[in-house]
Amino acid sequence: MIAAERKPQTLLDALETTIVGQRVTLEALLYALIAGGHVLLEGPPGLAKTLACRALASAVGGSFKRIQFTPDLLPSDIVGTRVFDQRSGEFTTVLGPIFAHIVLADEVNRAPAKVQSALLEGMQEHQVTIGPQTFPLPDPFVVTATMNPIDSEGTYALPLAQMDRFLVKVLVDYPSIEEEGCILERFGGEQPAMPRDVVTVEDVLAWRHAARAVHVEPRLKRYVVDLVAATRAKHDYVDRGASPRATLALAALARARALVDGRDFAVPDDVRAVAPAVLRHRLAFNYRTLTDKVDPETIVAGVIGAVPTP
Amino acid sequence: MGQQPTDCQPLPASALNFLVPVVAPASAQTLARLHVRSFVMTAEPKTLNVGDTLRLRIVTRVDENVGQLDNVTLPDLAGFDSLGDERVCASSGHGTECTEVLALSPTEAGDRTIAPTTLDAIDARSGKPSHFATNPVTIHVIAAGPQPSGVTRTLVEDLLRPIAILVLVGAAAYALLWGFGRRPRPKAQPPIPVSQPIAPPAPVDPLPQLIAALAAERTRPRVLAVRDEIRRRIGAREDETLGDLLRRGAAGSDRALVDVLRAVERASFIDDDQLPGAIDEALAALSNWKRA
Repeated sequence: MIAAERKPQTLLDALETTIVGQRVTLEALLYALIAGGHVLLEGPPGLAKTLACRALASAVGGSFKRIQFTPDLLPSDIVGTRVFDQRSGEFTTVLGPIFAHIVLADEVNRAPAKVQSALLEGMQEHQVTIGPQTFPLPDPFVVTATMNPIDSEGTYALPLAQMDRFLVKVLVDYPSIEEEGCILERFGGEQPAMPRDVVTVEDVLAWRHAARAVHVEPRLKRYVVDLVAATRAKHDYVDRGASPRATLALAALARARALVDGRDFAVPDDVRAVAPAVLRHRLAFNYRTLTDKVDPETIVAGVIGAVPTP
Repeated sequence: MGQQPTDCQPLPASALNFLVPVVAPASAQTLARLHVRSFVMTAEPKTLNVGDTLRLRIVTRVDENVGQLDNVTLPDLAGFDSLGDERVCASSGHGTECTEVLALSPTEAGDRTIAPTTLDAIDARSGKPSHFATNPVTIHVIAAGPQPSGVTRTLVEDLLRPIAILVLVGAAAYALLWGFGRRPRPKAQPPIPVSQPIAPPAPVDPLPQLIAALAAERTRPRVLAVRDEIRRRIGAREDETLGDLLRRGAAGSDRALVDVLRAVERASFIDDDQLPGAIDEALAALSNWKRA
């Protein structure tokens, strides 16, 4: 049982005091935090992607590290390295910034594949090997990576296999006119105040435990499977559909959403609500999407909408 | 899959009022600025015979309140006869949902893929002219009943027809002899007064029976039967969740119905351990709805 003051909704409300007009982004961050996955945020500059990740870390009260990805970054800059200590005559290990509860990988597509792999291995294995030693990463461990879809020069596109490691991909959209007015009203000229220690790392672990107990009816599980299978059906614009990892991600996020909504059972709305964020980065769109100038989001929505709900 | 030769009738003008196809790409100035939430095409049924009716449904959900959608291009419907269309555009506080249903009749057998319907608009998210497309739909058209070949037909006509005639004549003669010889004469029936026409049977509402069955047997299948009937009654499509229904105002201002929908949804998906309590709540909500 989760105490009232420690409910996930409390964290969401606290984040909304700092981040205005990005409800979808904040919900995705919270769901991924509960489901134990990593988040990829994509959107133009200035939409509070980095701020949202910082606010989440501050509100959870865990350790937070930010890594600015650049073309000259090395894997050891992320995971750490072994340094020779002349006084003792032994190698000592210096742990890298990946050793934090919440890691912000800013502009993750600006570093070469070797560096991206170093991060993604940690994301998958929840441990890092430096020299002869293997170090477990903290629990919870969540990577929030950002990408800017506009400036493509000097970037290294993430391969589909690496994108698959992210539980969700969130498209950060511009706020509405009213929300932008609210942002100006609230933060004009001042740095937005961060919510501090609203919940604890232990609370997050308790939510994860509770989320795993959320009931998913067999018919809803079948709906999850059907949704992912639908991405693999023959499609004019899709060459390759989502993997079974997407099936697991969809169910885990649906459970997390149900928990945030105060339920101990998932409903079709939970699956439907998280499906675009789970599936959009796992489909391989073909060249016709570009030549016909078709919006991939519409394709994803079409695939989801064509599957009957239970 | 190759294009089929066009042999269908052109779509009636009414079908084109709502979803206006564009021959040439519209310029950015003429495009509406839309935040397209979903753009989906479904066909029902997916398997049918030549000459049967297929309903092709195109549903567009946008965040804006619009009266109609322009710059929509319907797919090539060669190989189908158009039987008409229905269209509705409903706006609410959450945007607009436009639905176009085309009634079509396939003229040829085989697997037919209907290409995506497209919508040209300025994407409100990026501010750029965009080309939205639905999913394609594949249907399986079965040829109407198997026809005997020429040789088979000749055999049937030459050999079986005389035998069939003999059998029928014999059966008729036997029936006459048996009937006259053994059957009692029927009593004369009183004539039905002309002033009392027989009323057509009233349509039976299955919901009360389903609710009674749920009250008697508190099981998941009984809950699902009630849920299906309520969804059918409020016009829920198979791709719509409860959230979709509430957003588009399918329950109108009927608060009791909203409570019923939520309670029945809960009972449909809750853990088995909590099912009896959830069914009690669903029955209470249904009772309140009935009173209201």
